[in-house]
Amino acid sequence: MAAPVCIMENITKSFHVGDQDLQVLKGVNLTIEQGEFTAIMGTSGSGKSTLMNLMGCLDVPTSGRFILAGRDVMQLNDDELSELRNEHIGFVFQSFYLLPYATVLENVLVPTLYRDKKKDRVRDRAAELLKLVGLEERMKFRPTQLSGGEQQRVAICRALINDPELLLADEPTGQLDSRTAEEIMNVLTRTNERGKTVVVITHDADIAAYARRIIQIRDGIISE
Amino acid sequence: MERFSLLLIQSYEAVKAFKLRTIFCLVSVALGIAAITIIVAATEGAYKKAFDIVASFGPDSVMVMSGSDEARAIGQREKTITLDDIEAIRQAFPTAYIVVPSTWVGSVNVSYKGNRYQSQIVGSSSDYSRAWTWPVIEGSDFTDEDIRRYANVGIMGQEVARELFGDQSPVGKFVQVRNLPVQIVGVLSERGTSPGGGSLDNRIIMPYTTVMKKLQNESRYVVGMRLRFTDLENVDGRVEELKRLLRYLHRIPDGQPDDFRIFTPKDIVKFLVALTGSLVVFIGIVGVISLIVAGFVLANLFLLSVKERVKEIGIRRAVGARKKDILMQFLMEAVMITTAGGVVGFLLGVISAQLLTYVAEFPVYFSWKAFAIGLVLSWVVGVGFGLHPARQAANLVPIEAIRT
Repeated sequence: MAAPVCIMENITKSFHVGDQDLQVLKGVNLTIEQGEFTAIMGTSGSGKSTLMNLMGCLDVPTSGRFILAGRDVMQLNDDELSELRNEHIGFVFQSFYLLPYATVLENVLVPTLYRDKKKDRVRDRAAELLKLVGLEERMKFRPTQLSGGEQQRVAICRALINDPELLLADEPTGQLDSRTAEEIMNVLTRTNERGKTVVVITHDADIAAYARRIIQIRDGIISE
Repeated sequence: MERFSLLLIQSYEAVKAFKLRTIFCLVSVALGIAAITIIVAATEGAYKKAFDIVASFGPDSVMVMSGSDEARAIGQREKTITLDDIEAIRQAFPTAYIVVPSTWVGSVNVSYKGNRYQSQIVGSSSDYSRAWTWPVIEGSDFTDEDIRRYANVGIMGQEVARELFGDQSPVGKFVQVRNLPVQIVGVLSERGTSPGGGSLDNRIIMPYTTVMKKLQNESRYVVGMRLRFTDLENVDGRVEELKRLLRYLHRIPDGQPDDFRIFTPKDIVKFLVALTGSLVVFIGIVGVISLIVAGFVLANLFLLSVKERVKEIGIRRAVGARKKDILMQFLMEAVMITTAGGVVGFLLGVISAQLLTYVAEFPVYFSWKAFAIGLVLSWVVGVGFGLHPARQAANLVPIEAIRT
């Protein structure tokens, strides 16, 4: 059995608001094994966005132990965190966040710009990923020429281009109608079935139902 | 390498996408670089022209002209040099291998079979073409015999020959100089313009004796003389001696100004550099100011652009861009725009310098140097003024950038 992708032990996160500390996460313990499909559910203000930022290494915990892809995140500097995000984490955002002036193919290739370990044939790989989500005909299109569902599929390809351990999706269907949402969730499910660890953050029980494991977060504390 | 080319392509896409920013930055950089290009070209042109002039004037040559600086200033060119002076100088300076009297009459009507032309008639001894290193390409120079006989002969500049004779050869033909029939014995090669800008090819050279007696009604005075020395390294010393001898011959008391002027190749270079210099200073100030303005335009537009693209920066940071990657990206965009501005500016400079040459006989010369200086300056502006906005972009906090 391979080591877990993510180990969180007694994680807290506080923010300074005015002159007092606001504790958003109050001791989170969470282990995510390789190949899991996990949903983290919670209402707004529950701390799920903060948890997602920590898990994605966009932010660091105030205290606790956090191991991601075998690295002790608490010990990393800004450049090392960037490298960790680049190589081990793929992000899918609620509003897709594609670069409007770049083509579909270029958008998928963005993470490879920042990769130190050289990978051959990134273009071929990008084309392969786009083919898997049925966008091989749209490689030269701009994001504005695509529907929301198509844009999110491009974003998923971008998240997968560097072959990360963890695919982190933050409300991936929040801006899509229910039929398109189903499509996107099917893409995520298939990605998981090919062996990728997937974490979806959502407030929607229907979306969470696609996952095999559901974690609730309420007032900065999680429960299964 | 693929990564670098990807970065290039993406920067190019951004440069293309933010058109207004690109155009404003590009134009402002281009104006500055254009001015700088003109300066470099003008400076190089001036030196090159000075060099050419010295070469054709002859580095061993000295020209003595009648009249003081003051007299010249009010447009009077009183003749003060006599043929006796010239003879005395010939005797006194054994190293002067050429001593040629020179006198002239401007705007003389010359005609041949109904073709008319206003020419300048220059009186010289038979060494004219040797004295000026100006070859006779057809026929021959006139002779000492012609000088003694007051012969009505002449050699002709290219422009006069073209105007009066077209494709025919003037050699052997007679032209009317005022009322004087003059036989043309030779044609000079093309010479171009003088340092002052006038054509040199509009003249007819005749024996000074003929010009003085038949056109000027003059027996003693000439406009000037030209000397060439074999001891090139001593020209400065010879000029001093020449000055003293002429002051003695003209009986000028100490403290009084000279009634003649002596020109050496150095003076010609000085004149030309002064002519070009004021313009260079003016364009130089304009160039530097417009480059600085261009820099501020760029810095401001890039700061705005960074604000507009906070989300993009956040996305890039999220997918693994380090601070220095973001810094490099914005610098790359800035340098790309200023490089394009530099190239456009160089072309603009070439075009306006051509116009300047056309309007004002302004010597310009373009070399790789002008282009290289323009390019380097445009990079300096790009990096120098792009750095602050690029830093701002790089230092954005990823989560905040992405949540905006």
